[in-house]
Amino acid sequence: MDGDELVRDYLGRLDAASWPLPPERRAELADEVREHIETALAEAGRRDSVTVRNVLERLGRPEEIVSSEVDSEPAPPRWIEARIAEAAAKAPTLGALEIIAILLLTAGAFLLPVFGPAIGLVLVWLSTRWTRREKLIATAIVVVIFVLPIVGLLVVTDG
Amino acid sequence: MSGMVHGDTRNPLTELRRGVLEHCVLAVVRDRESYAFDIVRVLASAGELVTSEGTIYPLLSRLRRDHLVTTTWRESDAGPPRRYYLITDEGRRALDAFAGDWARFRDAVDALLAGGARRGESDGR
Repeated sequence: MDGDELVRDYLGRLDAASWPLPPERRAELADEVREHIETALAEAGRRDSVTVRNVLERLGRPEEIVSSEVDSEPAPPRWIEARIAEAAAKAPTLGALEIIAILLLTAGAFLLPVFGPAIGLVLVWLSTRWTRREKLIATAIVVVIFVLPIVGLLVVTDG
Repeated sequence: MSGMVHGDTRNPLTELRRGVLEHCVLAVVRDRESYAFDIVRVLASAGELVTSEGTIYPLLSRLRRDHLVTTTWRESDAGPPRRYYLITDEGRRALDAFAGDWARFRDAVDALLAGGARRGESDGR
């Protein structure tokens, strides 16, 4: 990566890490850090990758900056930490429940027609690891693959 | 404890920095308006005070919010306008109180640390 790519990468990591902050402060922090980098590089008079790396190293990891931001919240920052811990706990997206749900939605469709995918969907919605969006996508796939053909078949045979 | 989430809480210097840095920043902007990059540089040149320069921004944000500093945007020769920081009366009071606390704290720790050695043995053995 050249210097500018390193800066973009760093700011991207900062943006990703700073999601728990209030949006305005998040944007402000991004501006402050970007300006810091630009000032340091302007002062150095060069922006090759070695210089950039040095500047970024002195800044510290983006996660560290955000974490000290969270530390300095006026209200007890418990809820923010809870959200961070929750996100960290979510990192493995597959627990036993999720694996069973996937098996029911796939192999289960053949072994236990109708019931397999139906139970699988219930499990999907019970999951605490998948997001609402992911659950909706799973549901949409099941509806399209299993339910629509059946409805279609019924309509055709009725007609 | 809130600190448990973060990695390096075991290092006593990290904890100390966290405790005193805000007042060191107030000291930097007590007599002279400065922008963030300069504040960082002063702290860094004092040694031991800043490890990750970026963490100064969350700190400055809190000092603004607590009305311990005021800020003014000023045009700069190079690049976008810069935000300059200056201590407020409230900040000055906080800094004065800290200066007293710190002197007592430092003396107490020094006295305890020196306790093991005999008094008056400040020069080499």
